[in-house]
Amino acid sequence: MTKIIDLSVKEKIYKSKKSQISILNDFRLEVAAGEKIAIVGESGVGKSSLLNIIGLIDRNYNGEYTLLGSLTNNLHTSELAQWRNQTIGFVLQESALINSMTVEDNIKLPLLYAGSGKKEFKPEDFESVINAIGIKPILKKKPLECSGGEKARAVFARGIIMKPQIILADEPTASLDMENRERIVTLLFKMNKEFNTTIITVTHDLEIANRHDRVIHLERSK
Amino acid sequence: MKIFKFIVSKIFLRKTILGIGMILLLCMANYITFTAARSILSTFQGYQETKYINQEGVYIANLDPDSHMDMNIIGENGSQAVYDYLNNNFNYAFYTDGFIVSVPNIDDMEISLGYMNEEYYKLNQFELSQGTDLDFDYQFGEEIPVLIGKGLSKTYPVGSTIKIEESVLGRSITLKVQGVLKQNVYHANYYALNSKTYYNFSILFPVNEAFINHANIDLQLNGLMDVIILQTSKEEIADLSEVIKDNLGLTFNFFSQKENYDYFNEYYLHTLKIISITTFILLIVITCLSIWNVLVSVRLMLKDFTINLLVGLSYSKLKKIFYGYFGILSFINLTVIFIVTAFNRYGCWLRKDATFATYGLFGLIGMDWLALLLVVASDIIIGVIVVESMLWKTKKIPISLGVLQ
Repeated sequence: MTKIIDLSVKEKIYKSKKSQISILNDFRLEVAAGEKIAIVGESGVGKSSLLNIIGLIDRNYNGEYTLLGSLTNNLHTSELAQWRNQTIGFVLQESALINSMTVEDNIKLPLLYAGSGKKEFKPEDFESVINAIGIKPILKKKPLECSGGEKARAVFARGIIMKPQIILADEPTASLDMENRERIVTLLFKMNKEFNTTIITVTHDLEIANRHDRVIHLERSK
Repeated sequence: MKIFKFIVSKIFLRKTILGIGMILLLCMANYITFTAARSILSTFQGYQETKYINQEGVYIANLDPDSHMDMNIIGENGSQAVYDYLNNNFNYAFYTDGFIVSVPNIDDMEISLGYMNEEYYKLNQFELSQGTDLDFDYQFGEEIPVLIGKGLSKTYPVGSTIKIEESVLGRSITLKVQGVLKQNVYHANYYALNSKTYYNFSILFPVNEAFINHANIDLQLNGLMDVIILQTSKEEIADLSEVIKDNLGLTFNFFSQKENYDYFNEYYLHTLKIISITTFILLIVITCLSIWNVLVSVRLMLKDFTINLLVGLSYSKLKKIFYGYFGILSFINLTVIFIVTAFNRYGCWLRKDATFATYGLFGLIGMDWLALLLVVASDIIIGVIVVESMLWKTKKIPISLGVLQ
């Protein structure tokens, strides 16, 4: 199988005025295309930090990261932004919407940054995503007028609108009821099945974690 | 452009503190800078004009504030005697203005008359755009050669004549246009250097001995108030003071070069220093408030920034957007200042105010443009400080998924 992610972190340090914390010491991760990986561990072990690194948000670590065969460490911020726009989709908690915009505008936000990117986006692509997720009735609503489940699906729609090769999901079901939780997980796995999208999910929910191909337990550095 | 429009309309302008707060702070900074810069420039220009006073042997007349002017005692014979004494014993520069007459002109302005003798004319070195210098050796009773302001030259070109009812001579006279002053030639008030009288709608008379002898007491007394005595000594001045006292019953002070120099340094230099320091301090305070304002704003917008950064916005683009937004705010403020200033200048034309009507590009004179340029410079400095603070704050709080939880 094609290796899509090759990450090697010697250490990631968080500094505060009084102390410094070292996480992800000698951490290595290789992910194949189409793989579903769950990352679990107690709070503070570096789950979200790992996602920040994989998602090209954080470069402030000691290590090397090769994504789709390209070393990312020395890329310019605009190149990283383009990678995030074209290759990576973020599926986050339902609060990750801009409240001053309608749900539709929130979902279409990545298209604003696509510019003259490589991917061609057609109006029917938007329609198919909306129909698949079932959020057509709430498109003109503002996030504050939607339920938690509706917002979670809107965030999901934004994460997949660019048909990314990798989806990074950070506690996507943390504050959802059982019905909506199942809906989001099903949508995630459907993406994986239909488009061979690589899924990396950070979760505290072991039941959801165990439904992935691989579960990585992060532990506190000694 | 689409991204810039989106971030500004959907994020910046939704946060009142950044939208309104920043505009108000920048407006204050710009207004203070503009006012101070114009005041300093205007005072400097006035100082340049009056530099000729700063010479050894120059004394300026000034009516003692405690001296009471009783017009029942003062007569034409008395003032004539003073001028006779002046003519026989001194070189002096004579100037007075403020006499208004109605002279037909295409701008329908009231016209201000200024009177000066040859010494004053030489000291001021008036710049002409057309015609030749004033001739002071004309025969009194014939056409009087005059200089006119640019505003009158459209109606009265060089060589043409103007008939007026002249109040200081008390009769109808004919003037011949000998030259046209360059636009916006001005005269600064000695005691308020940043206050100017513009000559665009003025007629400048050459005053010689015959003219003074025929003029009424108003001209003679007004001229005496600011008369500048050249190449003289303290002893001679003391004698002149006595002559004035004896003939007019007035006490005049005559200030020497050193006294004038001390006055300028003590009063104007001190005032300029205070204006500069106060402006500088106010700008620092406003810049600090602006920094605080944007740092609070960044905290309020962090979630929105994070979402945008996750879906494809880059720090470099964000930096450009910050600078673009600040540039627009600055442009709006500059436009407001420009419009207000142009309207003020235009107001003088609407009020037919001959002594303040000026010519300039889009209504603004050179001093206004220079002050605007200084505002632009101060905006660039404030802009760089504020925007870099914004970026520093944005990067200091790492954009991460954690921000959204």
